[in-house]
Amino acid sequence: MIHDAQMDYYGTRLATCSSDRSVKIFDVRNGGQILIADLRGHEGPVWQVAWAHPMYGNILASCSYDRKVIVWKEENGTWEKTYEYTGHDSSVNSVCWAPHDYGLILACGSSDGAISLLSYTGDGQWEIKKISNAHTIGCNAVSWAPAVVPGSLIDQPSGQKPNYIKRFASGGCDNLIKIWKEEDAQWKEEQKLEAHSDWVRDVAWAPSIGLPTSTIASCSQDGRVFIWTCDDASGNSWSPKLLHKFNDVVWHVSWSITANILAVSGGDNKVTLWKESVDGVWVCISDVNKGQGAVSAITEGQQNEQ
Amino acid sequence: MEELDVEPPLTLIPGVDSKRKKLCFAWAPGEMLVYETLFPKECAEKRPGCPNIFIVRKDQDVYSQTLRKLFNESHGIFVGLQRSEEELAGKSRKAQLVRVSKNYRSVIRACMEEMHQLANSTRVPELQCQHSTQVSILSAMELIWNLCEILFVEAAPAGHLLLHLLDWVRLHVCDVDSMVHEVLSSENPSKHKDFWNAVDIFVLQGRMDDARHLLSKEASANPTSMGMCKILDDLMKKMPILSVGNTQTLTEMELKWQHWHEECQRYLQDGTFSSNLHMESICKILLGDENAILEKKELMTTWYHFLVTRLVYSHPTVKPVELRFYAQSSMDLFLGGESSWEPLDSILMAAFEFEIHQVIKECSIALSNWWFVAHLTDLLDHCKLLQSHNLYFGSNMREFLLLEYASGLFSHHSLWQLGVDYFDHCPEYGKVYLELHIERIPLNTEQKALKVLRICEQRQMHEQVRSICKIMAMKAVRNNRLGSALSWSIRAKDAAFATLISDRFLKDYCERGSFSDLDLIDNLGPSMLLSDRLTFLGKYREFHRLYGEKRFSEAAKLLLMLMTAHIAPCSFWMTLLTDALPLLEQKEVIFSAEQTYELMRCLEDLTAGKTDNQKLQVDDVETTKVEILRLALARNLARAIVKEGTLEGS
Repeated sequence: MIHDAQMDYYGTRLATCSSDRSVKIFDVRNGGQILIADLRGHEGPVWQVAWAHPMYGNILASCSYDRKVIVWKEENGTWEKTYEYTGHDSSVNSVCWAPHDYGLILACGSSDGAISLLSYTGDGQWEIKKISNAHTIGCNAVSWAPAVVPGSLIDQPSGQKPNYIKRFASGGCDNLIKIWKEEDAQWKEEQKLEAHSDWVRDVAWAPSIGLPTSTIASCSQDGRVFIWTCDDASGNSWSPKLLHKFNDVVWHVSWSITANILAVSGGDNKVTLWKESVDGVWVCISDVNKGQGAVSAITEGQQNEQ
Repeated sequence: MEELDVEPPLTLIPGVDSKRKKLCFAWAPGEMLVYETLFPKECAEKRPGCPNIFIVRKDQDVYSQTLRKLFNESHGIFVGLQRSEEELAGKSRKAQLVRVSKNYRSVIRACMEEMHQLANSTRVPELQCQHSTQVSILSAMELIWNLCEILFVEAAPAGHLLLHLLDWVRLHVCDVDSMVHEVLSSENPSKHKDFWNAVDIFVLQGRMDDARHLLSKEASANPTSMGMCKILDDLMKKMPILSVGNTQTLTEMELKWQHWHEECQRYLQDGTFSSNLHMESICKILLGDENAILEKKELMTTWYHFLVTRLVYSHPTVKPVELRFYAQSSMDLFLGGESSWEPLDSILMAAFEFEIHQVIKECSIALSNWWFVAHLTDLLDHCKLLQSHNLYFGSNMREFLLLEYASGLFSHHSLWQLGVDYFDHCPEYGKVYLELHIERIPLNTEQKALKVLRICEQRQMHEQVRSICKIMAMKAVRNNRLGSALSWSIRAKDAAFATLISDRFLKDYCERGSFSDLDLIDNLGPSMLLSDRLTFLGKYREFHRLYGEKRFSEAAKLLLMLMTAHIAPCSFWMTLLTDALPLLEQKEVIFSAEQTYELMRCLEDLTAGKTDNQKLQVDDVETTKVEILRLALARNLARAIVKEGTLEGS
């Protein structure tokens, strides 16, 4: 049972993780499917994988029911565990790498309600920051905001590191979406977005296309998908727009590279694609379902069926 | 654009069992991954597995070999159009735009030809089917484009309009030539079964000369009908047509036409052709009798052919605004309410109605690829025909389509370069789309990375330049290519990384006694200043060079400076002092007394620093080294003092 599949930055490698506790990496160049690595280290089903930006090398993070977060790295052609984080008391549900401009930072959301931030400081060392009780009952998803330099219209003197305001969004079992901001090296809750009536299952912060607006998509057990927009740069007023009410739980939302398409998967056994129309209304542009069709398949290999 | 008026298309994935599993997905550059899974993510480990992940792609066309030429060549035309300044105005500008339009069409036709060849030469049935489908799609595209060219780009006025439409029909609609060839090459052309069909189709297409030529065969073969043939031939000869160079006005033309029409009417009513059904029918056609024309449905094959024929024989001076009514009624009469509309029909109808946005919308829905609408819309935009139909996010239709098309190109390993130019000509979002897409191009080879870099540098995309250089530097380090890594990190202006790599170089030197990548280090130039460690590396190498060239006093000065100016890291001082040894031991005195004092001070600083902690780990080699150094320094000091105290000369 595959729980997550992610292509790397360039679409050349595919990482999958599964309930058989393995994380597998495939080379998928030119339509091929070559298994490069079968990584073992988790003691429970692995829920999510996330690729770091290639400028840090070939790095993959995975999180699992076994409360661990493992960072894997490719050195000299082989994949190895480079760091293991065991600071959570319960299943870790989601991992998300920060924009590469901030450095190598990983956010992890767990069923123990806490969110950990692991920052690589060099020489194999990681600095941990933990936000306890971020969401009561548990945190299901984390998603970083794109890196936007405040006052980016003004040129920064070269060589100086711009002052980024780091933000990320999290969704939890308290039906809330929270926006966290780093201030004075501490993470503070900046906003609470309330609209869902049941557990929030996934949040996705849209990539920036240069506009001063920020957009977040959220989906929940209540079958609703909301699009949240904030018009001013200081991030103070977020307004939700209901994308659609599905008949069943919605599990996953994700934006395309240029944020012009939102993909939603959930209840009705479909993956639907949505696009914003002229008057700001989101319309469904395509359904992906089962049956016949021209697609190519990758076989992960036989799973042990019990 | 308002509401979506078509149901979103359903894409089906084979082999997925919807009863037991749910579908989840992940985005990939250019495509989407879809896989089966079960929600909620419970702890149950032992669940029935589905090992399949499906890759779903929207646009397969990008990967087609033959279409690649279409993309490449149309790219050239597109860029040329953007760059052509609007210096020319009025007629010459229009002529220029028409030329561009014809260029696009010839590219489509060339592609069609090639595809056709492929379809004929292949033996694989699926491929043949695929190619043939592609040929018909391209053919439809050219048909539509041609009509748009006539109606929108050329914007032919009444009179010329019909001439262009006639050309259009002759070129596209049905293939008469093979039938005619058969007829003419037979022994008795006029007895051929298709003879009258050939004459008919010539008449229907307004090809009077060709019709007359065939008719003469009938006349010669059948003396009894010679009389009738002569009259018919005469009528055909006299038919007034507005030719391109003709200077007569529309009104004159209309008058002449009226006279001619009346003459045909007379002959028909007199029963001149009553003994020959074929010729009578032709006369009726000449008179624009709808029923007579409709009888030849199979020959015309399409309602738009019917439309043009009708116009030729009933209203040759039709105005562009009148087209829509004729088009609508032609379609109704021709199809007779039996068959439903095909997408091509609605597109053409929208064009006849001059609903440009409708044309673009229908084409977008019907075609699998944005190529056609993107280029056509761009051309129409240049003709100033698109009102700024602003979409919600401020981008106009032209830009929207170009962005979609170019984004599609980026999933291809070499076509992405074309996409760059398209983004360049999208003033609102082109830059940011380029930034987002260009980061995803796999940098498999150094050349590709350099190519991407050049593109970013030309457009002042500094963030992307830095990012790419960092990625390449990291790759080089992983493959132990330190020189390459260093040059990439210099290009990225990444001081931290440069320091890291310089340390590696220095470490290598300590271990092996020599430097790798000497060329690079020797020619660092001002980029040496990027990081202190890098400066040290460069200067240290310079020291070695000076030494090698036997410029000892300069080398000595440099060596000393490296320590006193604190360019050298403390960890390296021992090595530097050891390097000073041979200079101290030279016959000639190189270090002056003052310099020697400096060196001694450095040594003392070094050993003093290593007091409490290190004294416990007394390293024999280290202590010997220090002793040797002290000795050498003392000796040199002595010689230097003597030398400096001695008077020169005498």
